[in-house]
Amino acid sequence: MVKLRARCLLLGDAAVGKSALCHMFHSDGTLFQKNYSMTTGVGLLMKCVNVPETNDSVELYIIDSAGKETLVEACEKMWGQPSLLCLVFDLTSEQSFASCSHWMERVHAHCEGLHVPGVLVGNKSDLSARREVQGSVAQEWAESQGLEYHETSAKEMENCDAPLLGLARAFHSLYQERRETIQNLSPG
Amino acid sequence: MIDSSLTSLGAKVVVATSSDENHPPENIIDGNTTTFWMSTGMFPQEFIICFAEPTMISAVTVDSFNVKHLKIEKNTSQNASNFAFVGEKELEHTDGHIQTNAVSLNGSSATHLRFIITSGYDHFVSVHRVSVQN
Ligand SMILES: Nc1nc2c(ncn2[C@@H]2O[C@H](COP(=O)(O)OP(=O)(O)OP(=O)(O)O)[C@@H](O)[C@H]2O)c(=O)[nH]1
Ligand SMILES: [Mg+2]
Repeated sequence: MVKLRARCLLLGDAAVGKSALCHMFHSDGTLFQKNYSMTTGVGLLMKCVNVPETNDSVELYIIDSAGKETLVEACEKMWGQPSLLCLVFDLTSEQSFASCSHWMERVHAHCEGLHVPGVLVGNKSDLSARREVQGSVAQEWAESQGLEYHETSAKEMENCDAPLLGLARAFHSLYQERRETIQNLSPG
Repeated sequence: MIDSSLTSLGAKVVVATSSDENHPPENIIDGNTTTFWMSTGMFPQEFIICFAEPTMISAVTVDSFNVKHLKIEKNTSQNASNFAFVGEKELEHTDGHIQTNAVSLNGSSATHLRFIITSGYDHFVSVHRVSVQN
């Protein structure tokens, strides 16, 4: 049994639903806030996720950072060195999807050359009539960035567990890979 | 230098921030570099070695992997508290083999040594052996 710990950045444009997703993670889906209240700094949420088919778990320290451009710089100081990335866009906003590559660049500057596994989340899947981003397009871009793609609705509590499980699995397999490497080291 | 493990001298690891039960912190002081303690994510990481009695230490040698910055503190009390800085080192990255580094501690006496790994070359680091030179 191993308990891993990961610092997970929750990023994406303003109003895509990062804090709403965070609430879902936290309350296991009882608390959806209809009224938008902008995050102005960073919020921290700890969520323990069991890795399926193992006895291991990952404690995710999720950092919900403000998406509004003018606030990002101040927030970046609190990002620290991330272990995982959860990048969110709004399926009804092409613009929020286009911003994702910009967010990736920002994150890389904090990774100190380390590979940081992550997921791309298309949120607000309940607003299907207003959809602007096709799943296949998002999926393709996610793959090109080495991210796993999920669609969620924080409002309808749809599929909100999937990104968390994806993150936990990714960190767990990275740990196993590294442990393998360490077991095969030669003496100094 | 007498090459006996710290365990056989009565030392213990009393605190470690991470634990994988297959790679427990005791592996740090068993004198064997094929067994190791592995961190399980995020920095800083630390472990504390407690000696059976106050021990004069001129230097410690640390066998590790992917550790970038290591800071060492000590105390002379019975409890694992009130630590004072004694040394630190920026470790070089190694590929495929263990990092071996000596850190000078100026021949001070200690009952506890606290090792703080403030950063790493990867998400996870390992410590294979700590030995002390008297
Ligand atoms: N229909 C629908 N609305 C959602 C969903 N998720 C969030 N919202 C709404 O979108 C608005 C913004 O949500 P937030 O979670 O505050 O957005 P945010 O990404 O945290 O925004 P910043 O804190 O400014 O970066 C709120 O009015 C939410 O109620 C969803 O899945 N479906
Ligand atoms: Mg928010």
